[in-house]
Formats: sequence, structure tokens, C-alpha cells
Amino acid sequence: MIHDKLTKTLIGESVYTDDFEYPNMAYCVFVGSTQAHARIKEIDVSGAMQAPGVLKVLTGKDLIQYMDPLPATSDFSVVGWHWRVPKVYPLAVEKVGFYGEPVAAVIAETEYAARAAAELIQIDYEVLPAVVDAKHAMQPDAPLLYEEWGDNVQVHVTFEWGDIDSVFSEADRVLKVSWQEGRVSGFPIEPRGCVALYDKNTKELTMWGTYQTPYIAQRCISTTLRLPRSKVKVIALDIGGAFGNKINSWKDTVVALGSILTGRPVKWFENTREFIVTGPHQRDTIWEGEVAVTNGGKVLGVRAKYIQDLGVESTNRGAAAMSIVPACAAIPNAYRLKALKVDAYGVVTNKSFFCAYRGYGKDKGVKFMERIMDWIAAELKIDPAEIRKRNFIKANEFPYKQISGYVYDSGDYEKVFDEAIRMADAEKWRQEQQTLQGSGRYIGIGYAFTVEPAGVTVANCVFTGATEARIRINEDGFVEVWSDRTEIGQGGNITIGNVVSEILGANLEDIIVHNVTSDMVGSGPISSRGAVYPLSAVAKAARELKARVVKIASFFLEENEENISVGGGLIFSVKNKDKKMTFKDLARRAYFSPGPRGLSEELKLKGDIVLDVIATWYSPNTAKNPTSTYTTFCSSADVAVVEVDVETGNVSIIKYVHVHDAGRIINKQVIDGQLYGGIVQGIGEALIEEILYNEAGELLTKTYADFLMPTSVDAPGILLKHVETPSPFTETGAKGMGEAPIIGSKAVIISAIEDALRPFKVRIDRAPATKERICAWLSSRKNGDKEVKS
Amino acid sequence: MTVPISLKVNSEVYKIDVGTNETLLEVLREKLKLKSVRRACQEGDCGVCTVLLNGKPVNSCLVLAVSADGCEITTLEGLSQREDFRALAESFVRNHAVQCGYCTPGMIITAYYILQSMDEVTEETIKKGLEGNLCRCTGYANIVSAVKDAYEQQK
Repeated sequence: MIHDKLTKTLIGESVYTDDFEYPNMAYCVFVGSTQAHARIKEIDVSGAMQAPGVLKVLTGKDLIQYMDPLPATSDFSVVGWHWRVPKVYPLAVEKVGFYGEPVAAVIAETEYAARAAAELIQIDYEVLPAVVDAKHAMQPDAPLLYEEWGDNVQVHVTFEWGDIDSVFSEADRVLKVSWQEGRVSGFPIEPRGCVALYDKNTKELTMWGTYQTPYIAQRCISTTLRLPRSKVKVIALDIGGAFGNKINSWKDTVVALGSILTGRPVKWFENTREFIVTGPHQRDTIWEGEVAVTNGGKVLGVRAKYIQDLGVESTNRGAAAMSIVPACAAIPNAYRLKALKVDAYGVVTNKSFFCAYRGYGKDKGVKFMERIMDWIAAELKIDPAEIRKRNFIKANEFPYKQISGYVYDSGDYEKVFDEAIRMADAEKWRQEQQTLQGSGRYIGIGYAFTVEPAGVTVANCVFTGATEARIRINEDGFVEVWSDRTEIGQGGNITIGNVVSEILGANLEDIIVHNVTSDMVGSGPISSRGAVYPLSAVAKAARELKARVVKIASFFLEENEENISVGGGLIFSVKNKDKKMTFKDLARRAYFSPGPRGLSEELKLKGDIVLDVIATWYSPNTAKNPTSTYTTFCSSADVAVVEVDVETGNVSIIKYVHVHDAGRIINKQVIDGQLYGGIVQGIGEALIEEILYNEAGELLTKTYADFLMPTSVDAPGILLKHVETPSPFTETGAKGMGEAPIIGSKAVIISAIEDALRPFKVRIDRAPATKERICAWLSSRKNGDKEVKS
Repeated sequence: MTVPISLKVNSEVYKIDVGTNETLLEVLREKLKLKSVRRACQEGDCGVCTVLLNGKPVNSCLVLAVSADGCEITTLEGLSQREDFRALAESFVRNHAVQCGYCTPGMIITAYYILQSMDEVTEETIKKGLEGNLCRCTGYANIVSAVKDAYEQQK
């Protein structure tokens, strides 16, 4: 029975990490640095050690006696790239690199005692100058985070696809383009946490927690603690949202060490403030470049410099230094570009680490390209919808090999886009815009088209693409399913149930989808791979199991295999309606009465007698190059109409349309939930969300009162529609999905605001477009600047 | 220092000793083991710890337990026993208003209050009413639909 999370809560079955308790459990809290960049001169833990209830206090110096540094999540130095992997421990050892970086951990009898003792730890810092701006960090005089590197460039790669010089020489026009995104993150409502239990007799460590990717967490925890993988089990409990933010498990290693050293189960559950301060951050990008176009509006190529602010690092705590690759490779988006060259830098600064958040890297290239499309349209005085259509890859060109190496599986971009334009009534709004301008009201129509690469495989990286699934029919007739696809609120479990039920014929209420543990190989729900890798493995296992079911049923029902069908919880003969059995009948007879001995010699010899199948799946569409390759490419069109109040900078969304193609739809309600949620997150990014540090490196947005995310009042009415072009590369025809909405919605809102402010010649090359920024752009325009660049 | 207080929680009266700095959230969650009252920000921003205090929704993390002495508290555990709650819960499930589920108890308590207290339940008033309960998964669309749907059903 696959329960939704409300039902689970109502029947008392839900166990989120904060609900998880173990007898004799102690609590761990972390002490964060009050400095962004400083040498640790001395840590005085004596007061804390004597505080009531304290069991253990750990500092970075203590850790290194027991632990190895956090393992690299990706390492491309092996293929010759400029790729630096710093030596990182989960508690600062000699130096702190960001405000709030954990410098000590206190383990005590209660959370209250641990927090009280944490207040007593005294740290003497030698404060160093901080660098919080990526461009500054690249200057020769910038403070160095890792002195041994000699600069702050963690990653530097140049990508060149196609003949860039020749497309620029044949261009009618070359436009300068730049675009900058502020730092944001997913910050699901439930923060991170875990319970660690080390059994000193068996030397086994079990971790329960907010694990989006238990198999990846197992690697991190076992490596740092020098334990064999077989002795570390990681179990995902009910998870209160993740969005990529719960891939990391570096703090968990300290909690695990706490359990090893105290001999007690140890729990850690952070609050939102701790989540934001020490959390994974994302976006924070700068693009500067130029685009080559023809007078007819054909885009020929893009040449750019890309700077990604990685914060303190993104190869150890974080797993997103690698995201620079898809950021660049996603630029061509839905269009037929001839060439692309990007000089890409991942730069370290004194901010919290950089890791995954819905969009990961692919979002960045797409948003840059969508800005470019609007600017080309404005330059050539061609309608922004028309300019996109002129460059679209056509429906008959799939599979389409994009210049960046991606093979687009299927799609019909024009159909998706036209439908969105029609639903939005764009023509009517264009007229309305003219009328309203006369009375001093400014509405704008925005367009965005998104191709979302979904379901990744990367060499030299934790996102390997390996995946497996297991399905078993028990003697009681219930069907159990295991996979690596953690339920993080995306509807993964119900979709797995839908697929198993459809293939196997078992009733949905008889299917149990288990919480994910590190027992199943796979990198979990990252990169929208749920419907690609795990679901393909599940479908494959279900088909293999069905074949076994049919064989055994054929024996019991005395009917030819080809006449046997499944459905509605029954296995039956299509020729003779009296010949039928339930899954429970089948399993009972196959396992017990008469059991395997009563089956045919052929079945026994082939070993097809146990109704339990493990299947693995690997994408047939994996390129040979070591970087990221994706299996499916869903697409979407966003059209939005906004009104901008030019006095206050307030943006109201009047109309919002999103048309989406995720291939074959398995569960429309689940997909719609993803779309609504992603769209509103993207709107938040476009208008209000930004993680801000001051010049000294102190985080200014530590709570939801400062880091603003959309509330119910900010969410517009959204019209959705689906187009289905099945993927030829997955087992179900479904595509990975869930990230296009956050990409397109951010792009479309910016596009619409710029369109509304066209009379003021404001060009928006920065997000978020907060009220304050919009007012500043408008006032500099009113002060007589020729064209305002944000 | 502890103070004895009396709380009527989900129709049952509890006499408990609480610390003077202990919040209602801590008492409900840790002492009374009412796990639907969730923790996240613990400073009044997110709404996951919403409970009804004398019939009105409050962030229990912002209420000192001693100040709730003599009050009547309803959590999701209590609400789910009420006849008039079932339709709302079913509507949440039917409308796919629950994704990760972390905000759901707080959200549905506020939604219940909206249905109980508002004369005019429209999309706008629902949105206004739910403003203090953050959700990061759903974009609120299906939650608003669920409340509206439940309202239409109860009419």
C-alpha cells in the first residue's frame, strides 16, 4: 500500500528524521564560526566539557585522529582538466572558510544540554580578509582560501564545439550579452538530520536520516571513517523535501564518529537557520559574451566566459563543481546552433559550499540563452516568439545530435510553444499592452522555452548512472519493490507503483514501495533521473517477474503461456475464464503448497521458481566522453503576462501558462505537482530569493524572514497542458522531468518584466529582479542614462 | 526552574511541569509525543508547528508553554478524530496537495481554521489564510484547490 504522506501521518506511520528515536540516544549540535575567513588560534572547550550532560566535544584537531578527509564527489583532474580537490574535513581544522562553518561539535544527553554547552565554547580567531565576490576572487590580490593553490580557481575548463571563429566571421551582427544570477537554494522546509548507531560488537554503523541519495552517503561516510562499505548501512527515512539539497552528508560523518566514540546512538537535527548558514547554495553565476546572428534572426553561435561562484568548494561537501559542464552544454537549448565556445571557471569564495539544487547546472545555460533570444528579438525588431521558432530544431529531426554532444531523444518544440502562446492569448495581451501604456500602466509578455536534460551519467563522479531495482511477490500476495529512487516529495513511490501495477497486473493497493537504503546501488533521485534510470530498472524487473509469473501460472492453470494475461490483481487465461488465480494463490502455491518441488522440471532447472527479480539498467544513450550525458530531454514553453508598477517596482503576474512534454505520462497528477512547485520556485528566484553576504563575509539572510521564498499569496494561477512525445531511450517512454519548470519560470518572468519596461529601455541582465532593483533601474533611466544595464 | 501547568490537548487534560523557557512546540512534541507538530525554523517563519490554541492557529514554537496554561490545544492527532475533518483530509489527498508532507499538518490545521471561520471562502481568502504556512514542493496550487474543493463539498 503506497500511502501519501498525509495518510501516513494520520495513521501514525510517518517517520521523519526528527521523529526517529532510539533508546539511550544522545544529541549532537554543531558550533559555527563567527568569522568568514580566519585562522583558528585556539579553541577552549573546557567550559563545555564541564557543562551538565555533555558526553563529548569534538574539534577539527580531534577529528583528524579518526577520520580521513571527505572523499571527492567528482574528480576531472584524471582527464587532464584544471580541477582541484581540497582537503576538507567536516569540522574546520586550521582555518575557517565561511561564516558558520562548523568548528566544533558537542554531544550531550539532550539537545538542550548540547546547545547550552555549545554556547560555552570559546574560539580565538586570527581574522583574515574575506572574499565574497567571484570576480574579485579571480584577481591576483584576492585573499586565498587555499594558499597551496596560489589562486582561487578550483575548476577551469574551456569547451569548444563547432568552428566558433568561422560563425562569428560569417555573422551579420554580433551582440554583446551578459547575465548574472544571484545565490539561492532549495531549502526544503525540513532541514537535514540523522541518527547514527555504531554497534561495537559487529562494528557496523547504521545511519537513518534525510538521505536523498543513501548509496552516495554510504560512500562518503564509510570512506571518511575508514569503514568498509559493507559495515555502513544508510537508510532514508521519510524526507521533507530535498531538491538536491540533501545529497550532501558531510556533517553526518561527525555524528557517526560521535556514536563510535560515545558508544551511544547519536542524533543531529538542524534548524532552518543552521540549514541556510551551512547549507548547499546554488546559482550565483556570471556570463559575459557575445552572440553571432544573421539579419534573418538565425543564431549562429555563442562565445562566452562563465564564472561560477562555488563558495568554499564544491567537490567534497558539495557535488556540483561538475555542474559547470551542463551549464555550458545546455546553452544551445532548443535551437540549431553551429558553434559554441565557453571559457568556464569555478571559483572559490568565503561563502557556504555549492551543491545541487533543482536545475543543477543545465538551468544556467538555458536561462542565458533565453535572455539572448529576447535581446536578439529586440535588436532585429522581430517578435520574441518568432525568433525562437526560427531557430527551433524541427519535430522530424529527432533523435537530434546537439553541438554540445547531447543526443535529444524526442520532442516537438513548435507544437509545445504554439500551444502555450495560444493558451496565453498572447496576441490579445499585445494589444492590451498598447492600450494600457497610454494610461501609464506597464504590462509585459514574456516567453521562455526550455529543453531540460534529464537523467545524468557522469564518469569520475558519484553520479555514475549505475542503478538497480528489485521486485518480489511474497507468499501473502503483496508485491515489494526496492529501488534507489528515494521519495522526496516528487511522487516517486506512487509512480513506481503505477508502473509495477501496469506491467505485473497486481493491484496498486497490494504494492509496497520501500524506503530507500544503501543496499540498492544507484545515485537516487538526482538530475530528474527518477523516470529514466530507477523507473527503467523497475520496469525491466517487473517485465522479468511477469514472465516468471506467467510461466508458473501456466503450469498451475494448465494453460499455454501465450494465453495467459495479467491485470486487476489476477493472472488468468484469455481463453477460459475459469482458469484464473490471484497473486496470493500463485505465490502460496509456488512457495509452499506444493512449493517448488511440485513445479515442472523445466522451471526447476532454470531456477525460475522464486518470484524475486533484481534488474539493472543503463542508458543506451550514453556518450563515450567522460562528462555529463543525459538520456532524455523534456521540453516546456512558458508564457507569462506581468504588470510592473513603475512607482513601487512591484510585479504582479496576470497570466501564466506552462506547456510541457515529459514523454509518456505515467501519472499526470504527479507531473502537475512537479510543474506547479517548480514554477513557483522559479518565480521566487526571479523576484525575491537571494542569499546575501556582506563584504566581511557574514551571511545576512539567515532565516526565512530574510531569505524570502514564495508564500501562497505570491503563487499565481497557472494553466498547464501536456504534449507527449515518448522517449525511445527509456523502458516506459517517460522522460525525466521536474527541473524545466524552475528554469522556464525564472526566465519567463524576467523576460516579461523587461518587456513591460521596454518604454524605459531597461535591459534586465540580472536576477532576482527585486522591487528595489526595478526601482533603481527605472530611476537611473529617468536620470537620463541612455540605456540602463542592470 | 519548572512550573506546573495544565493543558487540555486534543480533549484530554494534562498536568505537566514545564521549564519557564520551554515552548509549546517542545512540550507537545517531546513531552506529549505528538509528532505531527513538526520542527523546522523554530522562530515563527515556516508554520510547520501550527496548532490550534483555543481554536485559533498559532506557531507553537513562538508560544511559551507557561503562557498556554489552562488553554485548549488541538493538533492534527486530535483534529483527525473530528467528523468534520475527514472531508478536508480526503480533499488534500484527492487533489494531490501533499508532496513531501512536511508542511502538511500545519497547513491542514490552518486550512481547517479557514473553513471553520471564514464567511467567504474564495481562492483569494484561502491564499491569504495560508500565507503563514510555507510549502516548497507544491507551489500551493493543489493545496488551494484542495481547500476550495473541501469548501464546495461542505456547502
